[in-house]
Amino acid sequence: MTKVDDSPWPSCQAQGGRRDFVRKTLDGILSFLQEAFVTREISSKKGLLQSLDPRIKLISVLALVFALTTVRDLRVILIFYMITIVIAHLSGISLSFFVKRVWLFIPIFTGVIALPMIFNVFLPGQPLYHLLYLGPSASLGPFALPESIYITREGVWSACVFTLRVAACVSAVVLLFLTTSQAVLFRSLRSVGVPKVYVLTLEMANRYVFLFLEIIRDLYTAKRSRTIISRGTWAEQRWVGGRIGYMLIKSLDLSERVHQAMISRGFNGDVKIIEEYRIGLPDYLAGALALASSALMILYD
Amino acid sequence: MQPILDLRDVSYSYLGRQNALLDITLQIGQGEQVTFMGANGSGKSTLLAILNALIYPTEGEFRAFGNLVRPEVFDSLKEDRFRSFFRRKVGFVFQNSDVQLFSSTVYDEVAFGPLQLDLPRDEVKARVEELIDMMDLGKLRDRAPHTLSGGEKKKVCIASVLAINPDVLLLDEPTAGLDPRTQLWLIELLQELGRSGKTVVTATHDLDIIEQIGQRSVVIGEDHRIVVDRRTDQVLNDLDLLLAANLIHRHMHRHGILLHQHVHSHGEEHKHRHEQDHDHGRPHDKAK
Repeated sequence: MTKVDDSPWPSCQAQGGRRDFVRKTLDGILSFLQEAFVTREISSKKGLLQSLDPRIKLISVLALVFALTTVRDLRVILIFYMITIVIAHLSGISLSFFVKRVWLFIPIFTGVIALPMIFNVFLPGQPLYHLLYLGPSASLGPFALPESIYITREGVWSACVFTLRVAACVSAVVLLFLTTSQAVLFRSLRSVGVPKVYVLTLEMANRYVFLFLEIIRDLYTAKRSRTIISRGTWAEQRWVGGRIGYMLIKSLDLSERVHQAMISRGFNGDVKIIEEYRIGLPDYLAGALALASSALMILYD
Repeated sequence: MQPILDLRDVSYSYLGRQNALLDITLQIGQGEQVTFMGANGSGKSTLLAILNALIYPTEGEFRAFGNLVRPEVFDSLKEDRFRSFFRRKVGFVFQNSDVQLFSSTVYDEVAFGPLQLDLPRDEVKARVEELIDMMDLGKLRDRAPHTLSGGEKKKVCIASVLAINPDVLLLDEPTAGLDPRTQLWLIELLQELGRSGKTVVTATHDLDIIEQIGQRSVVIGEDHRIVVDRRTDQVLNDLDLLLAANLIHRHMHRHGILLHQHVHSHGEEHKHRHEQDHDHGRPHDKAK
């Protein structure tokens, strides 16, 4: 253990390869930490939405999202989406960041649902573009298929409405999240009747997610620093399984200690939190405007 | 002096098998500054947890402010006057700051304790503001705990406990991982609290701070029993005792406020002499 290997260094070219799945997954999860940092920066800026009471913002966004789900007119949805972009700008959010943040998830989650809609197999309609001629009495197992498969005009329209509606709703929610600090946002859930104990639990869960992420990052960094040869996917999966078990034990131990720390400061099961907000005239005006817009959207449709 | 914390023949074992403390008899009076010294795993943290009524002796009894501390009182869902009194009187700063910082922001963390005391909201706010001011936490008030440095976390932990204004303060390894400036700030704070009449009980194996934060030292051995309970200066000058309790190594020892290290790469006898004065007032010979 005390001998030093002083043989000459091998002369070899460093070779790259595919990144292992653990690294990719962890990078994705850890980007959450960076995003939280960006969110904190934006929420502490001076801007239109940052100046509003969080409860008003929460109720307004909920009302608008609900109204938007009932709207079928593409123009109304488009106008709503444009308004969210203007508000984002007035709240000091970089437009490219805002648009990217919304549209990053749309193809993944909405695309999967909206894509089949455009084919006549799922939604009959006027042909827009012919894809395939199957001939009469075509079938797929027990399911009968149409003579030819094509993209329909109605399908494309419905998919566009659906996708844009999701984008508009996500934009409203993203605006809320970006312009309100997480602590204040959770606390404002009280205004829509969420019990105090859930608010406290949510706050604590959010706080400890960061701690666990840091532990996971350190575990992986320590492993990488001692990894001499790649051991393949199976070994990596085994390592991940082991770490999941370790984190479970760690979280149980931590929860017990956190409970002790709470008891030590007088906690006896009765949740007491400070809720201190002041609603001013601009808040009332913004709330009234959001609620009126929501009502109009529902009535218009 | 009437003891406020009184342990009689207390033992504690985890799962009834692994001993953490054995036959601890100890009394702490109002306004005393006591340090618990011991190597890793000697049971210091367990002893503090018992003194904070978070765990209970598996043998012996613990009395606080003249009352027996029992799980029936402290773990009960029923409101209990003594429990409320005890929680107001005794504050505990945990070793791991992350355990103690469970709120979303620094402000909420400091407000947590006063809120539990059922104080009027205005008084809670006034108290939190006062603490934030006193501990110089103004810039951190809306920050989330995970964004704080180790020293800042420790400051917030102490502020969150002081917000209850306890008369007895228990601290578990408070200087661990702190930079020298924050360490000095903490020592001065503990001295100030001591001067104002608070009872300060600190568990540590950091010999550099012991003399500054406590006049009385309780050394817990690696066998989980109290080795000595004496004046701090007497304990610190007893090198054989410190060696036996694994608080110093024969190649690493204190000279006043300086830690002196001897690094050996040989196994032979040697002697060295320090020319400067030491805390025990004479040049020092060390032989191996």
